[in-house]
Amino acid sequence: MSPEILNIIEVLLNGLMAGIMYSLVALGFVLIFKASGIFNYAQGVMALFAALTLVGFQTGQIPFSHLINVMFGTDYHHWGEGMNSFLAIVLTILLMILFAWLVEKLVLKHLVNQAPIILFMATIGLAFFMEGFGDLMWGANIKTLDVGIPSGGSFWWEDVTREWAPEGADYYGMYIDVLDVWATVIAVALVTILTLFSQYTKIGRALRAVADDHQAALTVGISLRVIWVIVWSIAGFVALVAGIMWGSKSGVQFSLSLIALKALPVLILGGFTSIPGAIIGGLIIGVGEKLFEYSVGPMIGGATENWFAYVLALFFLMFRPQGLFGEKIIERV
Amino acid sequence: MLPDPSNPLLEVKDISLTFGGVEALKDVSFEILRGEVRAIIGPNGAGKSSMLNVINGFYYPQKGEIWFDGQLRDHMKPHDVARLGIARTFQNIALFKGMTTLDNLMAGRIIRMKTNLFWQALWKGPAQREEVEHRERVEHIIDFLKIQSIRNTPVGRLPYGLQKRVELGRALAAESKLLLLDEPMAGMNLEEKEDMCRFVLDVNQEFDTTIALIEHDMGVVMDISDRVVVLDYGKKLADGTPDAVRNDQAVIDAYLGVSSES
Repeated sequence: MSPEILNIIEVLLNGLMAGIMYSLVALGFVLIFKASGIFNYAQGVMALFAALTLVGFQTGQIPFSHLINVMFGTDYHHWGEGMNSFLAIVLTILLMILFAWLVEKLVLKHLVNQAPIILFMATIGLAFFMEGFGDLMWGANIKTLDVGIPSGGSFWWEDVTREWAPEGADYYGMYIDVLDVWATVIAVALVTILTLFSQYTKIGRALRAVADDHQAALTVGISLRVIWVIVWSIAGFVALVAGIMWGSKSGVQFSLSLIALKALPVLILGGFTSIPGAIIGGLIIGVGEKLFEYSVGPMIGGATENWFAYVLALFFLMFRPQGLFGEKIIERV
Repeated sequence: MLPDPSNPLLEVKDISLTFGGVEALKDVSFEILRGEVRAIIGPNGAGKSSMLNVINGFYYPQKGEIWFDGQLRDHMKPHDVARLGIARTFQNIALFKGMTTLDNLMAGRIIRMKTNLFWQALWKGPAQREEVEHRERVEHIIDFLKIQSIRNTPVGRLPYGLQKRVELGRALAAESKLLLLDEPMAGMNLEEKEDMCRFVLDVNQEFDTTIALIEHDMGVVMDISDRVVVLDYGKKLADGTPDAVRNDQAVIDAYLGVSSES
């Protein structure tokens, strides 16, 4: 194979894996949107918050230490060596479940039967609150997150691919980050588990029922409030997974909450109500923006990755507003 | 078996329900006896659906008591009412449109499912046994309603009459003591209506389910119900057997129209 083709393959592979990272965030949006019709603006911040908490537990940070120190003139910051990654992850999951319960108790419960725009506004409020709360609790500095997932370029893959180029060609092999490969494996596992869960368990069936029709769900004996707590817990868990992957890749920083915006074009492509759609949408965006940057980027000054996804989404809105896998809503007249 | 009037399944006492200034129901009382088919009739806006929503827990009345199965009911959410043993269908069909007929009926059995998430996750042992058992019950209902051919069709694609039938099936799946049907024959053609009448009567006899239904088709009401309660402007106008109600002067004036013979 000529080096040009190999380069394009490399761009494709990296695009696919970048897309998986977008899909991880988009997945959380889809779960909540399906079950409650709420577009949860706070999903990105939830990922940030989960990652912050995880690092905090891992490194043994004392929550609210800055606040405590300012109020009482003390100098606390850590309570010891921290704990191992597994324990920290379990504790973070528990905290996200507690968070889901609080959201239901303090926000959703009081907004039942309100228009979707009102619930959307509530999640915007929630996003700002959580961003501030996360800052207050764990501090605003950029943190490194390492839960033991391997990262860095794969030398093995570089060696393998170097052989593919013709003898004597100016080619040094493909670069692939091992972390991205792991993100792919984890995302596939996550989607498989979520799909099996929703297809074959009683709670999964109840989730689908609620997603379909609230009124009917109530009459067969499903408690909406219980289901909402479960859904937000699962979305919290997905946020944690996304937070771990993004945090391991680029550090836990507050700009992480902005990746939520990249999930929006993913959702427009894939459809707001489809789990496979979130994955496929993410892959298309990932591959699309990397290929565009590689082929067209140099001609127009580069940095196309910042806007390509949104333009693609705009085109989609014109021709297929329900997304690739979304439900087409036909109102009978 | 004749219904026993001393031990009604459901009793509503002096129910009043207002929305802002509008009185939807005013001091309405009646009872539903075990094993009977009870019809609630009245002109549009008489409060029939409101009454059903009160029984079902969607609305909570400002005044009055609801006794179910010999117990005074507290303020209850619809899903709690469902667990108590009251199932219902809707005037404008509320099905899980994206799910298949089979899944809709299985969803109807959710309150009957006991095994917890742990077993569900393992998908072995009790969960599997339970799933098989529930499937058998659901298949029985599918046979009964003659909807075998649409078992795996997403219900959103079905024609209106069949959707109504699936909704009845889902309500049956819960094996409730009381079944509330809100206009089960609305929008159906003659043949579909006859089928539905037969199903309602068969459910009443075969499943031994007490039924309360709202219906506009007087022929249907007079044919299949044991007793009829008539509402008008939120108040109870008459209560009794179809014959008694048909000859009640107040009912004739308010609803059935002035008889041509008089």
